[in-house]
Amino acid sequence: MAIEKEITCIVCPIGCKILVRVVENQFELLGGNKCKSGIDYAKSEALDPRRMLTSSVLVNNGEWPLVSIKSSKPVQKYKIYSVLKEIKKIKVNAPVRSGQIIIKNIAGTKIDILATKSIKK
Amino acid sequence: MTNFNTDVAVIGGGPAGLAAAISAYENGAKNVIVLDRNKWLGGILPQCIHDGFGVEETGSSMTGPEYAEMYINTAKKLRIKFMNETMVLQFNKNRKIIAANKKDLHQINAKSIVLAMGCREKTRWNIMIPGDRPSGIYTAGVAQSFINLYNIMVGKKVVILGSGDVGLIMARRLKFEGAKVLGVVEILPYASGLQRNIVQCLDDYGIPLYLNHTVTYIKGRERLESVTIAQVDEKIDIIPETEREIKCDTLLLSLGLIPENELSRNVGIEIDNVTGGPIVNQYFETSLSSVFACGNCLQVYDTVDALAIDAKKAGENAAKNTIKQNKKINIKAGKGINYVIPQRISKSGKIRFTLRVKKPCVSPTLRVISGDYELFKKKLRWANPANMVGFDIDISDETIKAKGDLVVLLDGY
Amino acid sequence: MKNFHVAIVGGGVIGSAIAWELSKYKLDVVVFEKGSDVASCTSKANSGVIHSGINSPTGSLKARYCVEGNKILQSLADKLGFQIKWIGKYVIAKNEEEAKELERLKKLGFDNKVPGLEIKDGSEVKIKEPNVSCYTALWVPTAGIISPYEFTIAFAENAVENNVNFLLETEVIDLKKIKDHFLIKTNKGEYQSQLLVNATGLYCRKIDAMLEEPDFQVYPCRGEYLVLDKNYSNLINSMIYPVPPKELGVLGVHITPTIEGNILLGPSAEFIGDPDDKRTTKDMMKTLFNESKEILPALPEKAVINAFSGIRCKLASPGEGGWADYRIEESKNTHGLINLLGIESPGLTGAPAIAKEITRMISKFIELKNKTDFKIRKVKKKSFSEMTAKEQSDLINKDERWGRIVCRCEHITEAEVIEALTNPIGAQTLSSVKYRCRAGMGRCQGGFCSQHIIRIMEKQFNIDVNKINLKSPRSNLFYGRTREKVND
Repeated sequence: MAIEKEITCIVCPIGCKILVRVVENQFELLGGNKCKSGIDYAKSEALDPRRMLTSSVLVNNGEWPLVSIKSSKPVQKYKIYSVLKEIKKIKVNAPVRSGQIIIKNIAGTKIDILATKSIKK
Repeated sequence: MTNFNTDVAVIGGGPAGLAAAISAYENGAKNVIVLDRNKWLGGILPQCIHDGFGVEETGSSMTGPEYAEMYINTAKKLRIKFMNETMVLQFNKNRKIIAANKKDLHQINAKSIVLAMGCREKTRWNIMIPGDRPSGIYTAGVAQSFINLYNIMVGKKVVILGSGDVGLIMARRLKFEGAKVLGVVEILPYASGLQRNIVQCLDDYGIPLYLNHTVTYIKGRERLESVTIAQVDEKIDIIPETEREIKCDTLLLSLGLIPENELSRNVGIEIDNVTGGPIVNQYFETSLSSVFACGNCLQVYDTVDALAIDAKKAGENAAKNTIKQNKKINIKAGKGINYVIPQRISKSGKIRFTLRVKKPCVSPTLRVISGDYELFKKKLRWANPANMVGFDIDISDETIKAKGDLVVLLDGY
Repeated sequence: MKNFHVAIVGGGVIGSAIAWELSKYKLDVVVFEKGSDVASCTSKANSGVIHSGINSPTGSLKARYCVEGNKILQSLADKLGFQIKWIGKYVIAKNEEEAKELERLKKLGFDNKVPGLEIKDGSEVKIKEPNVSCYTALWVPTAGIISPYEFTIAFAENAVENNVNFLLETEVIDLKKIKDHFLIKTNKGEYQSQLLVNATGLYCRKIDAMLEEPDFQVYPCRGEYLVLDKNYSNLINSMIYPVPPKELGVLGVHITPTIEGNILLGPSAEFIGDPDDKRTTKDMMKTLFNESKEILPALPEKAVINAFSGIRCKLASPGEGGWADYRIEESKNTHGLINLLGIESPGLTGAPAIAKEITRMISKFIELKNKTDFKIRKVKKKSFSEMTAKEQSDLINKDERWGRIVCRCEHITEAEVIEALTNPIGAQTLSSVKYRCRAGMGRCQGGFCSQHIIRIMEKQFNIDVNKINLKSPRSNLFYGRTREKVND
């Protein structure tokens, strides 16, 4: 089945609307891009869109009530809400070190959740 | 009252202040002190938990807290002195600083000062939105600090006015926290935030962006109950028949930032009416000698990377502090240009300029002229008010001697 | 059920001034205030002007209390610690015709025993007010400025310290006269009182109607204001008034410095149906700015940093000319009910004199005996930003909270915020902090300090985050936590 999509390019601020067609995971450029650098972006956006995910997690006994976190790799777009749901349930104890793994393989994504800030007790 | 001397005093420990302090120390100032009113360092960065920081500088995308920690760790390894929870109350022309903290009132005599006070957000009253005065109206940055630092939720049904980056980032953040984000309202025909944020913060989550719209009325005698939005015409006049009411409990304002310069004003430093920051020369020195300015109190930057690069130069110059301000030529913003920094140059050499254009345009030509003579010409693929433009020019001794103003302008605008 | 000698309904400037006057005597006094703080209505939102008495007809209560109040205000300020600045005012005439009006005002002022009135010509005015152009002006040296909430708070807080009960967020919902007592039903329970003072301003008819058929109407009249940034405070030195318009019984759009160092433009005058409709409107903002610019051509648009409105309580409709005198009287039908009706401008100025009058009325019902332990505490002390370096340093060394600056715009310290939150009335909204120590009144409008004040409210006063309000019982600021700490 062929799906046609219009993708707003974010490579530069012109924001070309790039028209693409996806047929069984094959990418086809239909046009709309003003330069070449948009093509790679449009391709990954069309075939497997992913986003870095950042949020925060509750901290027990810390100098701050929350620690900011990020996903170790970009998360598949359609899994963002299930990952967020898991994140809201987590609690960690202070101290927390920036870069520390808060939870491994969150929501079965094979992606870890890392602290992005150090929190003292 | 305690009294001590320092080579360089940096006012503000956000990204600009940290970068300036590190650079000052690395360039020979052995006695560097950073004064900051918060109990933490890094300024606004710890609440900017999203990523996208440091890409130009380090090649990898960091979150705000990570970027801040990188600088804090570097600074702490050097013998830079930090005074937190310390408010600078004033300084005078001889660079005598008066600051208060819980220990005492301090007088700090600095050989040079770097201003890095950052900026504050515009409020409802900067654009005079009529109506009631309920609770539930927050600037985007304040809402961000409540949610990301203090674990406090500001609202459930939210309208955002202004499409600046903080507003867009907060649209996604609130959505993640379960709030209904009913739309982002922007008075201009284009978004003022980065394209990436339009796509990844709004489009991804189906949050509508209302261009050419504004909030015309605020209703709610206690908590906010609704806002009225309306379309505007080319002259930015409201089209009354397009008014409609949106029920909501929260209005976030992302209306832009104002450089924080009360200290600079009080001591008589000249302020640029457009940038809201001090007028500086190529050394980032203000009209008051040995006082330098950097970061968002100089101009509102769009990336922390560009900000840090300039702040380092300001710090370096503060450490060297050998500048003599004599021959000055002024740099003027011409057609299509909102402002240019530095506003003055006093010595020949390779000088970096940064500017903002007035409106988005495709393939304009940037030109720098002095009378009939063209010093510089560059074709740009695009230009956008949201993206600062930077370029270097070799300024010759002749240009300085000629003492004529340089005008920066945009052709094909 | 608690039984009082005197119940005052309304914690505005009038109710608070009466409470303070009564706190000198051995009486059980209670004040019911539906807002979250005193001065939460008309008393808060006005020009903050001490009037001289040149505007009201000779023999009227307005003229009498205004002139009397004006005379005693300075001694009260010295006792209670609120600020007054006697900056004087110019009523300016643009032409010969208006100049005649000034003569009339001067004559009226003279008849009302207002001292020091002088007609000055335009060039004389120019020397003192270089930004003002006029033909001639009436100089009124006995006009001054005051912070209306600081003034009200000073009365109320000192009254509480002398054992008057202030019940905030307590709305009177019904009143009954039973034998020699009033039964007072509120949203927080029932009370009894021997006498009842109706000092409810805009709501005076509503309260009166709970006991009897009112023989008057209230016509709310909204006045909008614009506030200028402190950077423009040097535009004027005194108050600048136009010749009063002939209609509506108001003084016209004037330009007034405030105690805090801002300048107010306003108020407009618009009769409205709903006394709670304190909106600001786009049209009026424009009108206020334009009318002010006629008086003050140097006024820049970007100087405006805020807008608000207040509502006047008028007893005369616009058709009747908008002017009616105060009615301060014992009810003929309800024994023990004292009504204060139509207390609009110059009510702030008149408040101390009105309070004395009410005390006289009460003395006819109850014998007043002086308290031996009545004590005066100055409400307003010098703020940190007004102190010398030595004073600042000494305080920090004594208590480190003086060294933590919470409000960056106005340099308000943690110590001052904590003191504001420990006020004897028990008002603990963000606005009540603002009105007591000015945190949040500056350029950033609370952007920076509100986070710190909220932390102080949570950590040091144990206020639940959901119960932190901006200004009134349902003006909540927050909706709980983003991450709930659930015990497992």
